[in-house]
Amino acid sequence: MTQLERARAGEITPEMKQVAAGEGVSAEFVRAGVAAGTIVIPRNVQRRNCVPAGIGAGLRTKVSASVGLYGNDAQVDTEIQKIKAAVGAGTDAIMDLSVSGDIDAMRRETLATTSTPVGTLPLYQAIAGAAEKHGSPLKMTVEDLFAVIERQAADGVDFLALHSGTTMNVVERARREGRVDPLVSYGGSHLIGWMIHNQRENPLYEHYDRVLEIARRYDVTVSLADGMRPGCLADSLDGAQVEELVILGELVRRAREAGVQVMVKGPGHIPLNQIEATIALQKSLCKGAPYFVFGPVVTDIAAGYDHISAAIGGALAAWAGAEFICYVTAAEHLGHPNVGQVREGVIAARIAAHAADLAKGLPEAEQWDRRLSQARKELDWEKQIALAIDPERAGQLRKERSGESSAACAMCGQYCAMKVVAGYLGGSKQSC
Amino acid sequence: MTQVLAARAGRITPEMEMVAGQENLEAGIIRDGVAAGRIVIPKNTQRREIRCCGIGQGLRIKVNALIGTSSDRDQIHVEAKKLAIAQAAGCDAVMDLSTGGDIDGMRRQTLAGADLPVGGVPIYQCAIEAIQKRGGIVAMTAEDMFLAVEKQAAEGVDFMAIHCALNFEVIKRLQATGRVTDVVSRGGAFLTGWMLHNQKENPLYEQFDRLLAILKAYDVTLSLGDAIRPGSTADSLDGAQLQGLIIAGELVARARAAGVQVMVEGPGHVPMHHVRATMLLQKRLCQEAPYFILGTLATDVAPGYDHITSAIGGALAGAAGADFLCYVTPAEHLGLPTEQDVKDGVVAARIAAHAADLARGNKQARERDLQMARARVALDRERQISLSIDPEKAKEAKGSGDSSHVCAVCGPDCAARVAARYFGIA
Repeated sequence: MTQLERARAGEITPEMKQVAAGEGVSAEFVRAGVAAGTIVIPRNVQRRNCVPAGIGAGLRTKVSASVGLYGNDAQVDTEIQKIKAAVGAGTDAIMDLSVSGDIDAMRRETLATTSTPVGTLPLYQAIAGAAEKHGSPLKMTVEDLFAVIERQAADGVDFLALHSGTTMNVVERARREGRVDPLVSYGGSHLIGWMIHNQRENPLYEHYDRVLEIARRYDVTVSLADGMRPGCLADSLDGAQVEELVILGELVRRAREAGVQVMVKGPGHIPLNQIEATIALQKSLCKGAPYFVFGPVVTDIAAGYDHISAAIGGALAAWAGAEFICYVTAAEHLGHPNVGQVREGVIAARIAAHAADLAKGLPEAEQWDRRLSQARKELDWEKQIALAIDPERAGQLRKERSGESSAACAMCGQYCAMKVVAGYLGGSKQSC
Repeated sequence: MTQVLAARAGRITPEMEMVAGQENLEAGIIRDGVAAGRIVIPKNTQRREIRCCGIGQGLRIKVNALIGTSSDRDQIHVEAKKLAIAQAAGCDAVMDLSTGGDIDGMRRQTLAGADLPVGGVPIYQCAIEAIQKRGGIVAMTAEDMFLAVEKQAAEGVDFMAIHCALNFEVIKRLQATGRVTDVVSRGGAFLTGWMLHNQKENPLYEQFDRLLAILKAYDVTLSLGDAIRPGSTADSLDGAQLQGLIIAGELVARARAAGVQVMVEGPGHVPMHHVRATMLLQKRLCQEAPYFILGTLATDVAPGYDHITSAIGGALAGAAGADFLCYVTPAEHLGLPTEQDVKDGVVAARIAAHAADLARGNKQARERDLQMARARVALDRERQISLSIDPEKAKEAKGSGDSSHVCAVCGPDCAARVAARYFGIA
């Protein structure tokens, strides 16, 4: 039985208990959320050494980092280093998005390396496999695709990203509407090419029951991916995106009916003023299913700084109700991230998630801010650094920008504001 | 004659023309905005020709960078480099916040080196000199304060942060309500200490008309310093902050009546759910005066990344009506920024400002994003680089040279290329 089925039967599973303990909520709260489909706990029954994480309404906003083999130079070892860096920086989940090379080895190594939930996108391997087996990705068969889904599920992958909502109708609408950038998602683009070439409906839509049957057997959480996510601000909330979301809403309902845990993937590039509406639409159409958003980035022009652009959008999206943020690195739109960029991407996403949790009034988030600010007022540097979201970097910058001997900091030097007023306003006699 | 008096007399000044050209708007719109006090154009009558910028409603959101020495780091040649870097990174104005070493020399160097409006905080120099000459900040005299303002105005400083909106009402409110981090504004702290020690009202509040007379003579834009800005998310929108804002609103009205250009400085650390209310309150209480905000920082817990916490808050604040974003660098809360920190800070603030401009429907901003999207679809790398917020950085990156829609996996039969042909973009 899946977590969802057990929750509906009134059972509180060990996973629900673990999630509840980590979040400071009751196990019953988690059970009720899982039963209603507003919380998912991605945890494949075959998975070993996984600390379960809850994603959904009322819980801390979670962050996912993506790695994976791409191109001839990619190596499993390098990607594993990135996973370790991402986990060290505090990511809540890892996605292995390998599209080439030894994809099986990479996935198995990923599952063995991290104790976070792991997600994959099986279409990538199916395309690579068809290119190899049949000499062309366009010759991929439906059986090829499902064999990969089954294999990845059997390996213990906790959540699978599947573009089941990118139907022929949606694709045709995108063409009619004249999207500025119709090819954004790697998986979506290849899937659309396959559909057009073979003049066939999307197999992940047509054979969705078969997807659900596999997912249920392993309790894999289905992550409904969007082939029509906006790849530029001008395409945000166009007909193609919204129609796909309507379909995803139907697929959410069918997954729940089948006892399968489900969440929905989304944007992309969104102007700030459309974020709230985007989240509200997803929540309404997908009946409160957790929303897993990529970024969103809030401008198209921040190449080299898209982790910052995504932190802006991610914070706003999570505040508006998105529960799961897929990081964007500084390498986005330019290439593939190195280990440092992976680390920085995770921290930027965690800042966004925390800012949102604070805005939502999560008690633990408020306490964290308060504790750090008290340490700041008391000029307790050790405590400030220990409480920082990235203690390593805070400590390093403090050392480089101020020198350890300084009681205040080099910004204000002797004229620290806190020090100046402390004597007059009472309380602590220390500074900044 | 100040810009605001000229505007009220129906005149369109060369500065208004320049701003109109930059913003692609009618000069009459700029004049009307300046006349109403919704737009300021900081430009001291003594200043040489600079690239002016208009700050306020209907205009592109502007970004300010801070430079300056401190008692611990006082090499002015390093600050000159930071100025050059901040300008190259695209800031619209710069403030010299020096408190160490040769403060006069530093200011003159900045005024000479900057092609942009330059701001100052005269109370800093005044306080430091009081320590040197009189043995302590609390020994400053009111005369010292006005002399410091006059000196900087005569040298051509275009806008000044002056903490006039701090009086005993605010301090009492602060003492009554209590705060996690009391006073985090340096100027605010100097004055609070001075007021409590001497048991005297803030001269910059009490003799506000005297201040206005100096500013008017040089057309210095008054930036009402926020002595009581929240230094932690827990202190946001408390009674003390609002008391200060109400007083700032009264002073805005008086500055306008005197023909002095005025804007209002604000937060600080603000949780996201307070940002809109903060902007709304400021616009309401200060009669739509331009709002110049630090950050806002969306959380307290990210030292080392406060350019990012500020980009989050700044974008939200800009979308909600803030007109002028003061950058925050990764060194905030940890020390004095390096040259690289300055660049990172300016770019992060520009991203926030641009994201807010897009949300506010700024046509130039939207057009630029659309051009970038088209360049991406056309796989035009050169154009992508030139449209990037930091072309230098975009150029550095390798692996962006995809010259076709064929991916690295499929080979010539790439499925994505089939899709590209279908959509008519291959």
